[in-house]
Amino acid sequence: MNVQRRIVDEEFGPVWIERRQWLRAAIAAIGAGIAATLSGIVGGAVVATPGDRQEEQWLPAGRTGDLATGVPTAVTLRVTRQDGYYDAVERQVVFLVKGTDGDVRALSSTCTHLGCRVSYDAAADVFKCPCHGGQYSADGRVVSGPPPRPLEQMATRVEGARVLVKL
Amino acid sequence: MRMTPADWLDERTGYRRLVGRALYEPLPNGINWWFTLGSVLLLLLVVQFVTGAALVMYYVPAPAYAWESVRYITAHVTFGRVLRGLHVFGASFIVVAALAHLVRVVVFGAYKKPRELTWWSGLALLLVVLAFALTGYLLPWDQRAYWATVVTINIAKSAPVAGPWVADLLRGGTHLGALTLSRWFAIHVVALPAAASALVVAHLFLMRRHGIAGPPRRRPGAARAFYPDHAFRDAAAGGLVFAALLACAVFGRPPLAAMADPSDATYVPRPEWYFLGLFQLLKYFPGRLEPVGAHLLPAAVLLALVLLPWLDRSESRDPRRRRIVIGGTLSLVASVVALTALGVRNLPADAAGAWGTRALAGRAVVNGDRCARCHARGVGSDLSRGRMTRDVSWIESHVSDPDVIAPGIRPAPADGLKPLEARAVIAYVTSTRSGEPPPPVSADQERAAAVIGTRCITCHTIDGDGGRLGPDLSHVGSRHDAGWLEKWIADPEALKPEAEMPAFGRQLPPGDIAAVARFLASRR
Repeated sequence: MNVQRRIVDEEFGPVWIERRQWLRAAIAAIGAGIAATLSGIVGGAVVATPGDRQEEQWLPAGRTGDLATGVPTAVTLRVTRQDGYYDAVERQVVFLVKGTDGDVRALSSTCTHLGCRVSYDAAADVFKCPCHGGQYSADGRVVSGPPPRPLEQMATRVEGARVLVKL
Repeated sequence: MRMTPADWLDERTGYRRLVGRALYEPLPNGINWWFTLGSVLLLLLVVQFVTGAALVMYYVPAPAYAWESVRYITAHVTFGRVLRGLHVFGASFIVVAALAHLVRVVVFGAYKKPRELTWWSGLALLLVVLAFALTGYLLPWDQRAYWATVVTINIAKSAPVAGPWVADLLRGGTHLGALTLSRWFAIHVVALPAAASALVVAHLFLMRRHGIAGPPRRRPGAARAFYPDHAFRDAAAGGLVFAALLACAVFGRPPLAAMADPSDATYVPRPEWYFLGLFQLLKYFPGRLEPVGAHLLPAAVLLALVLLPWLDRSESRDPRRRRIVIGGTLSLVASVVALTALGVRNLPADAAGAWGTRALAGRAVVNGDRCARCHARGVGSDLSRGRMTRDVSWIESHVSDPDVIAPGIRPAPADGLKPLEARAVIAYVTSTRSGEPPPPVSADQERAAAVIGTRCITCHTIDGDGGRLGPDLSHVGSRHDAGWLEKWIADPEALKPEAEMPAFGRQLPPGDIAAVARFLASRR
């Protein structure tokens, strides 16, 4: 054990110290290399989650003839969304509103406050949010309550008699 | 003197003494590269744990989604292909390293008193590793996995007395299905990792308690500390093995066959290569003798290994004085290698590539205007993803007459597809699902495939797919050249008056016929 002690205590002369330092550095470098490669691959898989390739879709939402001027009409759209390995089918409600100029606008049913679903109250002619009492006018502007912004509008396009909504 | 954070930690945990004891463990003189196999195994186990933990975030142990989620990992997850490659090839590396470690221990006589328990914990670890391999093989839920597991369970079932009961236990019911998959998944990710961790701790504790056995013949000279000389050997061996594994993962493709189809009786199952030896052994014990090859011989070998410290009780660890043990071990290794080699040689030929001419024709149809009108614009799903949520007859009727399936609000394509085109599209989607990338084909070849896969295939077979009315076209290029074929397709009777094949000269544009002729002439 005596020889060993001397090596451990680094009293064995410069040659041995150099060799020991070289070995130490090599061990550390190999260990760090393996750890870095592995955490790079595993970290990439875990942290850099693959975003869902969501492409824009124009979905047929109804016919212009079925819409009354100024009255929001709720339409349920079936949207297929890639959810990882799974094809999720979501039902999204949008409100179609035909303006006096004949233009059709589409309003999202998601409250801009905290994301609850608004519904249209025909008697009061407002959209009401059930969560915190936010209210929007029939064209989507905030009337009262906490919502910070008007209801989101989606792009629309009229092809013949059909209304297409971009999601 | 100021206290550093390390001092603070040491005062509370005493870690310096522990690290010192771990690093400066005295090792007998004569320790060499043979003694790095244990550390390499430990490293490989850690790689499996880490990659497995990441894989399990994306994997779903249910028949409807298991295959899809594995494909998602390889195709879409960042570094997913390499991640799965590390895990799949890592399993092979562990089996090889474990067997090498075992042989080293036997040859060096390191199982002898007082190291019997170290030896046993190592044998238990080997069984755990094999159980990992077996359960992990099922998880991708592809054809290979499904049918190999059917065979495995039937082997278990053939065991005397408890066989049928064990088979039911393994299946979690009377059929191989959803319950089997979740059961094997639970074993793979909960029970086995727990067992492996406990056994590794026990194995290392016992190894430290008795010290390394060292070389079989004691060499004079002082003991040397583990660190840094032997630690360097461990690190270097580990680094090399890891680099080799990484190369396999980066440049190799972890296999994923088509999704498991219990109704497809044509699939020929084959086990993972490290079980091929056992598989081959079965062939020598047909009929009533089968339990001998399936259970008796493997059990006898295992029992001999368990009892080895008592079968070989001599003091000496010198291989030259333990001829019987060394001879037995070497012949065992030789028979395992020979059986595995025979098994590899007898493997059923791989089915022709997943991409037949019909699938290539289907791709041409899909990329054409009719399908792309909806499927490339987000109205229909992306066909190149190869997701099939409906059965084949549904798809066939959908592509033949889309209005049947998507009435009402969605615009139905003005013209559907002919039945043969429909079948080509299905072949294309199925091939996409196989996970195998399409072969590189030129525009000319694609043009030819589009004609062959939707027309010629009615009567002719090519690559095992098609009608039987006309001759097989798979190797027609060895019989005729492009010029002859072009004339023949345009007007067979001009070359041979009694020809039965109709003339296509007026049905197909000359460019198509020439492309088909060139394509077929290249098939030798």
